[in-house]
Amino acid sequence: MRYVPVVGLEIHCELLTNSKVFCTCQNEFGGSENTRVCPRCSGMPGTLPLLNRGAVRLAAKAGYALGCTVHGYSAFDRKNYFYPDLPKAYQITQFDSPICTDGHVTVTGGKDIRINRIHIEEDAGKLVHDDYEGVSMADYNRCGVPLIEIVTEPDFRTVEEVQDFVEQVALRLKYAGVCDARMEQGSMRVDVNISIMPEGSDTFGTRAELKNLNSLKAIGRAIEYEIQRQSEILDAGGEVVQETRRYNDNHGDTKALRSKEEAHDYRYFPEPDIPPVRLTDGEMDEIRSEMPEMPQERFKRYTEVYKLPAEDAGLIIADKAFSDFYDAAVAINPDYKQISNLMLVELNRNLNEAETGMEDLKFTPEDLANTVKMASDGVISKNAAKEIVSIMFAEGGKPEDIAKKRGFIMSSDTSELDAAIDKVFAENVDSVESYKNGNEKVFGFLMGQVIRALGKGANPKLAKDALTEKLK
Amino acid sequence: MSLADIRKKLDRKEISAVELTEEYLRKIEETDGKINSYITVCADTAIEDAKRAQEAIDEGRGGAFTGLPVSVKDNICTDGVKTTCASRMLEDFVPPYDATAVTKLKGAGAVILGKTNMDEFAMGGSSQTSYFGGVKNPYDTTRVTGGSSGGAAASVAAGLCAAALGSDTGGSVRQPAAFCGVTGLKPTYGAVSRWGLIAFASSLDQIGVVAESAEDAGYILNGIYGFDENDATSSKLATGGYTEKVGAYVSNIRIGVPKEFFADGIDDEVKTAVLKAVDYYKSLGCEITDVSLPSLEYAVSAYYLISSAEAASNLSRFDGIKYGYRSGLGEDYSDLIKNSRREGFGNEVKRRIMLGNYALCSGYYDAYYKNATRIRTQIRREYADIFEKCDVILTPTAPTTAYKIGEQENDPVKMYLADIYTVTVNIAGLPAISTTCGYDKNGMPIGMSLIGRAFDEKTIILVCDRFEKDFERKEAVL
Repeated sequence: MRYVPVVGLEIHCELLTNSKVFCTCQNEFGGSENTRVCPRCSGMPGTLPLLNRGAVRLAAKAGYALGCTVHGYSAFDRKNYFYPDLPKAYQITQFDSPICTDGHVTVTGGKDIRINRIHIEEDAGKLVHDDYEGVSMADYNRCGVPLIEIVTEPDFRTVEEVQDFVEQVALRLKYAGVCDARMEQGSMRVDVNISIMPEGSDTFGTRAELKNLNSLKAIGRAIEYEIQRQSEILDAGGEVVQETRRYNDNHGDTKALRSKEEAHDYRYFPEPDIPPVRLTDGEMDEIRSEMPEMPQERFKRYTEVYKLPAEDAGLIIADKAFSDFYDAAVAINPDYKQISNLMLVELNRNLNEAETGMEDLKFTPEDLANTVKMASDGVISKNAAKEIVSIMFAEGGKPEDIAKKRGFIMSSDTSELDAAIDKVFAENVDSVESYKNGNEKVFGFLMGQVIRALGKGANPKLAKDALTEKLK
Repeated sequence: MSLADIRKKLDRKEISAVELTEEYLRKIEETDGKINSYITVCADTAIEDAKRAQEAIDEGRGGAFTGLPVSVKDNICTDGVKTTCASRMLEDFVPPYDATAVTKLKGAGAVILGKTNMDEFAMGGSSQTSYFGGVKNPYDTTRVTGGSSGGAAASVAAGLCAAALGSDTGGSVRQPAAFCGVTGLKPTYGAVSRWGLIAFASSLDQIGVVAESAEDAGYILNGIYGFDENDATSSKLATGGYTEKVGAYVSNIRIGVPKEFFADGIDDEVKTAVLKAVDYYKSLGCEITDVSLPSLEYAVSAYYLISSAEAASNLSRFDGIKYGYRSGLGEDYSDLIKNSRREGFGNEVKRRIMLGNYALCSGYYDAYYKNATRIRTQIRREYADIFEKCDVILTPTAPTTAYKIGEQENDPVKMYLADIYTVTVNIAGLPAISTTCGYDKNGMPIGMSLIGRAFDEKTIILVCDRFEKDFERKEAVL
């Protein structure tokens, strides 16, 4: 039988706050074990949580970035379970009254994926198992790292929709400064709930929850595997069991982690140590006013106003710093297409070769804008513009200085050009004759000779015009 | 001796802070063996604190608390001093921080004499569930002190400290104060920071004071109240100046007497003594109003559901992983946690944890926890109605006086029901003070309580002080 997958996502994102969500410990990735812990985040008796309002603001921003309703009233609850990496034996989360609800993101094909809720919660620590010594050790550095959990409705029907959604969410959260969304580092963790149903049916099957998916590719492969696995069970007349499964990227398969029966009863109840969170209308306006332009809006501007090809626009917005640089450059010189070309080809090539990021760039958007202007004004050639980008990338410097120093300034002195053409004609009498007899192919050869004779300051356009004139 | 009198003696240098502390330490040494009110006595640090206090007095830097020797209940964290919650689980736990209330007292120059005994994790009304042995009543050492702040109350009654910090979740300051013939003040929820108070039931817990008088209780509250960034539930509405009104007229005070507090289950002797106190206020010209708190009959159930649910969660952190007792038995972390908790907690604590988890389980949550919170809302509303027509409410503190040790141990339900007159105050977050209003035929103290509007501790202290000035207390003789 043919089946349709039904997928919903739960995405955990680490918030880019300076400190943890309920204490003042630094919120940072990595570091030596248990160096970023305090009595609060290690759950010492008598301590109480201190809510980081910065985390609340970032959660609200996530809501705005994903088209949610942000609530002026939200509240924390306790999720109770025992595990050695959870020092209080409960996680503070938002269960009954999340900060954001009812969002949506439009994915490939124009379909709206509904977001049920976004809530704030704290991360747990990590256990380190030493099989050789036969001991487990707890590292609480990650305890209390602020997270948001984004929960979607089961609206996905294809892998592409899922991947597009995850990509868009990651990009929007990066734009909003909410999360750096690095799946491989775990700062964005996607859990997939998946069931299948016979084609044409509208009754959902029993779902499995897939964990440990740390790339878009892994998400795709895990979903494909699950569709296959569940289809085989149903085709054989079996029943899919509700369970949590762990994806293994090396094998490309999923293995049962725990069944529904083994699932915890989390005994949620309102967190009595933290009063409900209030956001006034004024605060919400302020947070909204801090929201930068979102990638989907930029895409629209690039394609509709700047008339960039969709592919180019997509490449530019994929990195906020890159896109910001582009915007700053076109604000100075609205040569949208040329600036885009130089950035997507020359700059990207240099970035890839040097394996560095936009934050290490040695030149400014203004430098790039000026480079492009010099080319379009005929002061330098297009090739020289490309070279200048590479030089600025490697050494910094101003394009005007580089052009002068390297002899990129194209000559507008026609006497020099005439002399060069005369010299080329004298040395290539046969070719000139051949051209005049109708062999137009030799034009390129003659042109090349003229440019060579002129050296770096050659102005190809001028040279071409003059050569054409003289050959008449 | 009142705190004000001690203050005078210290300031006039009739006694030095060191001499005073030594006197208390000597008395503890001599008599605490009979009542077991302290778990830890901080003899050395207390003398050092006293020396520093004396220096401050000598240099004219002394304040209201400089050199005052106080005791602290053993569920209130003290930096560098064991804080056990009277449990095997925390037998050797030494916190690296002070509770805010302790920080304030220490900062003001008070001397911490030691940590007082209590019911394990403040769960109980007898102070008999302590891992370190029960507390005995200074009026009759065969009887209980009440609880859970039994050590605090006994230490004040036996003169083993000038005043004591306790904690009150459902009556744990007021009821032992009543049983031990002293004064117990439970401030409004949020008036005193809970930072450093090892949580039993977070939405009900409040640090309180046991003292010789209402004025003394207000004196200590003046030193510990106030908003604290470290406790998000602490309030800016607490204003201080708690003894300001003492000595003012009370004839304009309207006193409500809720009939439900004098119905079935109350000892005749208690009822008679409390009603006599009502008559006393009437004789002063106070307007006495019959009022009603119809939800009282559900209060004990609601209290035990909410407090046990929160306790089950709060006490989950004691898992033998990070600090506290760790069992040597078991193969994996799950065994380690189970066995540590099985061996580290006493029976009453386990009973509450089971009750609380049961109330929170999916499928029971609505019937138990949710309904309990509805009753909480209802009780608050009923109190608000009462305070429309009166300024304070007068009730008995407990249905009985201190009973014999061992008498109620095997009947938890009977013990829970004995909390009926105190729990509504915590449920509604109100302030209340208990003082002695009589003695029964065995010479055991009878307590009455005055309940006030939220953050109006001043009025109940005033009204209580007026009664205390005209009432002759009997000293406990050990």
